[in-house]
Amino acid sequence: MTDINIKKVSYLAKLALNDDKAALYKKSLSEIIEWVDNLKKIDTEGVKPLHNITEKNQHIRNDEVLKDNSTEEVLSNAPEKALNFFRVPKVVE
Amino acid sequence: MTTIKEIKNQLSNKKISVQELYDNYYNKAKNSELNSFNCLLDPEANKQNMINSQSRYNDGKDLPLDGMPLGIKDLFCTKGTPTTASSKILEKFIPEYESQVTQNLLNDGSIFLGKNNCDEFAMGSSNETSFFGPVINPWKNKNNINDKLVPGGSSGGSASAVAEKICVASIGTDTGGSIRQPASLCGVVGLKPTFGSCSRWGVVAFASSLDQAGPITNSVEDAAYLLNSISYHDLKDSTSSNHKRDNFLEGIGKNFDRSITIGIPSDYLKDVSSEIVEQIESTKKHLKKLNINFVDVEFTTTDFALSTYYILAPAEASSNLARYDGIRYGYRGKGDSLEEIYVNSRSEGFGEEVIRRILIGTYVLSAGYYDAYYRKAQRVRRLIKNDFQRVLKDVDFILTPTTPNEAFKIGEKLDPISMYMNDIFTVPTSLAGLPAISLPSGLSKNNLPLGIQLIGNYFQEQSLLQMASLLEKEFCFNG
Repeated sequence: MTDINIKKVSYLAKLALNDDKAALYKKSLSEIIEWVDNLKKIDTEGVKPLHNITEKNQHIRNDEVLKDNSTEEVLSNAPEKALNFFRVPKVVE
Repeated sequence: MTTIKEIKNQLSNKKISVQELYDNYYNKAKNSELNSFNCLLDPEANKQNMINSQSRYNDGKDLPLDGMPLGIKDLFCTKGTPTTASSKILEKFIPEYESQVTQNLLNDGSIFLGKNNCDEFAMGSSNETSFFGPVINPWKNKNNINDKLVPGGSSGGSASAVAEKICVASIGTDTGGSIRQPASLCGVVGLKPTFGSCSRWGVVAFASSLDQAGPITNSVEDAAYLLNSISYHDLKDSTSSNHKRDNFLEGIGKNFDRSITIGIPSDYLKDVSSEIVEQIESTKKHLKKLNINFVDVEFTTTDFALSTYYILAPAEASSNLARYDGIRYGYRGKGDSLEEIYVNSRSEGFGEEVIRRILIGTYVLSAGYYDAYYRKAQRVRRLIKNDFQRVLKDVDFILTPTTPNEAFKIGEKLDPISMYMNDIFTVPTSLAGLPAISLPSGLSKNNLPLGIQLIGNYFQEQSLLQMASLLEKEFCFNG
C-alpha cells in the first residue's frame, strides 16, 4: 500500500479534513495511486513530455492592452468589497 | 424526429413562429422532472433576441441557428446568467462576460433556454457529483421500470435534456469522455472536436490541456450545424488552433467518392460484454453495404491511458481550482485570517469528488513525486498520441464502443475507480486530442441505448461527420 501523508497533501491544497475524512481520502488516494502505478511498466526512456496537443497550430496574440471590463464589473462578484477593493482581513500586523 | 434543418424550414415557411417554438420547449423544460437544468432563463430576458430572430426569418435573412432554443452546460460563462459549474463554490456567481463558444452561438441567432446540470466542475461520469442533485436519464430499464438511471456525465444534463427533447440541442464539454459517454447512455449524438477547435475562453477550467466544447444533439446533421458555429480561432485562448475551418454540413448524407477503411482495435473488445461486442459487429454489417473495408488494428498503449489521464487531469485540476479562494468571487467561508478564509471557503465549497481530484493532483505534483507521476504521465501521453498516429496512417477512422456498459442506477457505483472505468474507451482519444463522435447504435436487452464511437484524424471533423451521417442512416435509431 502506498503510504500517503494525507495531512501534508491537504495542507498544500488548502483543504481542511477532519479525521474521518482524512482516513477516507487516505485510503481512496492510496488505491488510486496504486492503480495508476502500472505506468512504471512502460518504457519512456528518451520520450519528450507532451504538454499540449496543438503545439504546432498555436498562435500568440500581440501583447496589446484591451480594455473590456470595468472596476465595477470585476468587483461585481466579490464576496466582500470596500470602495474599489476586494475586502480581506488585515494581513500585516 | 425534429432536426434543426426541419425546424428552420418550418420557421421560414411560417408554420411556427420563433416565440411559439421557444414557448413549446420552455414549457416542456419547466415541467421536466429529470433535473437536467440548473436554471432556466427568464423568457423576458430572451424577448429581444426572439424579436430579432423572427424579423430575420420574415426578411428571409435568417442566421444558421436562428431561433433555436438550446441548452448550455452550466460550465460556460453566460453574461448576466448564473454559471455555477454545479458547485456550491460558484452557486451565486454571475459572469460579467460571455464565453467565446456561447458568443458564437448567439451571433448565429440561437436562443438559450437555460443552463444544463453537470457533474461538479465536470468531474464525474454519472452526473451524481452535482451540488444541485443528480440528473435522471429519460430512458427506463424495461426489466426494472422503477429504477432511476444516471444519464452519464459530466454533461449529463445536456444529454438528458436532448434525449427528453426539452431543448433542440445542447453544448457540453468533454475532458475524458464527458460529451460522448452521456450521449451514449442517453441515446443521442455527442461530438468531441479536435482539441483546439473551439475556444476554452470563458469555460470553467477543469484540465486545460484536455477540455474541449462540443455539441450534444439528436442527429449528426445537427452536430454539424452547431460545430459550424462554435469551431473558431480565438486569440483569447492560447491553445486555440488557427487552422482553416471546413463547412461541416458539406459531407452530411453523401457517400464517399473514395474507398474508406475503418480500423477496429481488438484490444478494446477483449473484456466487454457480448452485447457491446455485438454493437461493433452490427456496425460492420451495416457498413459493408456501403463498401467500406474493415481491418483489425492494435494499440500498444491502451492499458496505460486511464492511469495517464488520472494523473494529468487531476494535476491540471488542482492547479486550475487553486483560484477558488473566497477572495474575488465565489463562496467565502468565515475566517479571521486569509489562511482561514482560503481553507474554509474551499473545504465548505467543494464537493467530495472535486476534493478527491484536487488531492490526487496535489500529490502527483508535490516535491518528490512530480517526476515519478506527472512527468512520467506526460511522456506516456506522447506515446499514446504516437500510437494513434501510427494506426491512423493506415485507416481513415477507428471504431470502438463508446462505453463498456449501458446506463446504470443512480447510487449504484460508489467506488471511484469503478466509476473512472466508464471512460476507458473515450479517454485515449482525449489524451491524443483527436476528434471522436458517439452515435446511438442499438438497444440492450434491458431496452437501454448503446453507442459506438468513431474516431477521426486531427481536424477531419468534416469527414468524421460525413461517415457518422451515413452510419446514422443505416442504424435508423429512433430515440
